[in-house]
Amino acid sequence: MMFRRLSCVLTLLTLLAACGGQPAADETAAPITAQATAITVTDQRGTTLTLDQPAERIVTIPIPAAALMMAVDGSAERLVGIHPSSAQAIEGGILGEIFPEARTIPRDVVSEGFAPNVESILALDPDVVVQWGNRGSDLIEPLENVGLNVVGLHYGTQEDLETWIALFGNMIGKPERTTRIIDWQHNSLAEIQMQAEMIADERPTILYFNRLREEMRVAGSDTYNDFYIQLVGGVNPAAEVTDFVTVNAEQVLAWNPDIILIGNFDEATPDDVYQNPLWQDMRAVVNQRVYKVPLGGYRWDPPNQESPLLWRWLAVLAFPEVYTFDLRADIRENYQLLYDYTPTDAQIDQILHIDLNREAAAYERFINR
Amino acid sequence: MSVLLTGEQRKPFSGSQTAHWLLVAGLPLMVVAVGIAALGIGRYSVSPEQVYRILLATVLPIEPTWSETDARVVILSRGPRVLLSMLVGGGLALSGAVLQGVFRNPLVGPQILGVSSGAAFGGALAILFGLGWVFLVSGAMVCGILALVIVYAMSQVDGRAPILMLVLAGVVTSAFFTALVSVLTYVADPYSRLPAIVFWLMGSLATATYPKVVPAALPVLIGGGLILLLRWRLNILSLGEEEAAALGVRVQPLRWLLLVAVAAIVAGAVAVSGVVGWVGLVVPHLARMWVGPDHRVLLPVTLLLGAAYLTIIDTLARSLTPAEIPLGILTALVGAPVFFVLLRRTRGRGWVDA
Repeated sequence: MMFRRLSCVLTLLTLLAACGGQPAADETAAPITAQATAITVTDQRGTTLTLDQPAERIVTIPIPAAALMMAVDGSAERLVGIHPSSAQAIEGGILGEIFPEARTIPRDVVSEGFAPNVESILALDPDVVVQWGNRGSDLIEPLENVGLNVVGLHYGTQEDLETWIALFGNMIGKPERTTRIIDWQHNSLAEIQMQAEMIADERPTILYFNRLREEMRVAGSDTYNDFYIQLVGGVNPAAEVTDFVTVNAEQVLAWNPDIILIGNFDEATPDDVYQNPLWQDMRAVVNQRVYKVPLGGYRWDPPNQESPLLWRWLAVLAFPEVYTFDLRADIRENYQLLYDYTPTDAQIDQILHIDLNREAAAYERFINR
Repeated sequence: MSVLLTGEQRKPFSGSQTAHWLLVAGLPLMVVAVGIAALGIGRYSVSPEQVYRILLATVLPIEPTWSETDARVVILSRGPRVLLSMLVGGGLALSGAVLQGVFRNPLVGPQILGVSSGAAFGGALAILFGLGWVFLVSGAMVCGILALVIVYAMSQVDGRAPILMLVLAGVVTSAFFTALVSVLTYVADPYSRLPAIVFWLMGSLATATYPKVVPAALPVLIGGGLILLLRWRLNILSLGEEEAAALGVRVQPLRWLLLVAVAAIVAGAVAVSGVVGWVGLVVPHLARMWVGPDHRVLLPVTLLLGAAYLTIIDTLARSLTPAEIPLGILTALVGAPVFFVLLRRTRGRGWVDA
C-alpha cells in the first residue's frame, strides 16, 4: 500500500515536472508563448499527449470526472460537454448551486452508455476528451480516429483518484491547486491511519450496500468501499467475495454486520433495512446503526474529490469515542479548498442526509447545535 | 408432421413398466421432498432438525426451541422463494409443453409468442421510472397480455390464424418488444437504473416475498388448471389442424384458449422472476423422454418436474456462494448442454420436423 502510494506521488512529480518552465505560482496568468506552456500529459493507458497550452475546452465522459474537474479547476468554465448522468447529478445536487453555470453544459456527448457521440463532440471543438481508458477500444478509437486528444482513465482506487487529480491539474495548468488537494487527501489519510492504529476496541463489521432495493449489491474486497472500511478500523464482512456482488437477505443476516451503509446508487433509505422483517435481530438494526452515505459535490461512496470527508464521517460513526472530527467544520473548510465556496447549514444538512439519518446512533455528532 | 407423436410412442423405459409408473406416481411426493429440503438449505445456518420443527410449528403448537430469526429465515425468506420457484418452474415448463403441442414443434418455448419480451418490457419500464414492485408486476402482466393481443391481431388471415402466421407474428412481436427493452436500457441511467434493469432481466428470485407469490400463483393455478383440464384435447390438437377438425374439435377457439392461458402464466412468471430461459424448453423434453408424448400424462408430469427443477436450480443459485448466481445464467448453463445431448440422442427418432 505504502509503496503504491509512493509510486503515485512519483508519477505526480513526473507530471508536474513535465509542465516545464511554467511558473507554478502564476496559474491565472495570460497565456505565454506556445513553447513555454507546452504540456505533456501521460494518461492511465500510458498514452502521451502534448498540448500547446492548458486545455480550455474539455469534454468529460466518465460520470465522476465532471465534478472532479470542477473541483480541480475551481470552476465549471472549461467543461464544454459532460455525460448526461453527470449533468443530472449536478442539477440535483449541491454542485449546481455552487456552479450555476454548470447546469447548462451540453450533455449530448454519448450515444449509448459511454460510447462517444463523435460528431456532437467534434462540434464542441474540445482540446481534450476525458474518457474511460480500460473499457474497450470502442470507447476511445472513434475519438482518436477523428484526431481528438483523448485522456484515458482507470477507476476504483485511491491511487486512481489521486492520479486523476494530478492528470486534470496538469492538463489545465493548475499544479499548485492540484498539489493542495492531493496534500489534503494524503494528510487526511495519514491522520486517520494514525488514529486507527491506536484503536483497542473491538472492530465493528461494516457492510456497504451499493444497491439495496431491486437488488442487494454489496462491496467485497478489492473495492474502494472495502479500502475505507478498513482505513477507519472496521472490518468488511463481505470481504470473502471480490468486487461488487449481488447477495440475498439471508446472506446479510449470516454476516450480521454492526454497521450498514446505504449508497447513493439507488433511492434506498435506512427504513428499507429497518423494515425488513428478516433483519429485526441484526446488530445494525437493533443498535440503529444504518446510515445513508452522504452526497456532496459527488456521491461520497465511490472515490471522489471529497473522499477524505467520507473517511472522517465513517470514522466517527464506527468509533464515536475515538475520533473527534468536527465534520461540519471540515466540510466548510474543504469546500473552500475544492470549490471556493462556503456551504450554508441547510446545504450541509442536505449533504449529510440529516433527514434520513437523524435518528441513527451517533448521528447527533453531525447535527448543527 | 405427426412424427412428433409416432416417433415418441416407443417408451424409453422398456424395463420394469410397473416400477416406472410407480416412480411417476411418486413425483408429487418428490416435489414436496425437494421443497422441504430447499427450505433447509441456505447461507444462514439453521439445523435441519430446527427447520423441521419450525415447519411443524406452523400447524402444531410446539414450544419454540429456535430463535425468532431462525423462524423468519425459514418462513419469510426461504418460504416465498421456494413457493415462487415451484410456481415459476412448473408454470414455465407447462407453458413450454403446451406450446410444443399446439405448434407441433419441439423447438418452441414460452419466448416464441412474444409474451416474455412483452412482459420484460413492461417490467423494465416500471424499473426505469423507479416505481415499486406492484407496478413492476402489473406492468409485466399488462404488456405480456398486450403482446399476445398483437400476435392475435397480426396472425389473423380470413378469420383464422394459420400456425405459420402465428409463429411469424410471435417472432415479430418478440423482436419488437426486445427492441423496446433495448431502448429502455439505452435511455436508462448507467449508474442507477441500468444495473437494476439488467439484473431483473437476467432472472432472479432473490427479492421473493409472500405478496409476490400472488401474481405468480393466480395465473399458474387458473391458467395451469385450465390447461390440465384441456390436456385430452391438446392430444387431438397436436395431431394437426385438419385431423383435429375432422375429429370435431373447434381448432381456433381451443388454440387461443390455450395460448391465453400460457400468456398469463408466462407474464406472471416474468413479472416475479424476470426472464428465466430454458425451463420451458428443457423440462418438457425431459418429461417426454420419461413418460412419452401423451399430454394427459405429459402435462402433469412436466408441471411437477418443472417445479422441482427450478427449485433445485434456485436453491443452488442462492446457496452455492455468498453471491447470488442469476437464475437465467444457471438455467441456461444447465439447460443448453442438456438440450444439446437430447437433440443428439433423439435425432434418429424423427423429432426434428420431417
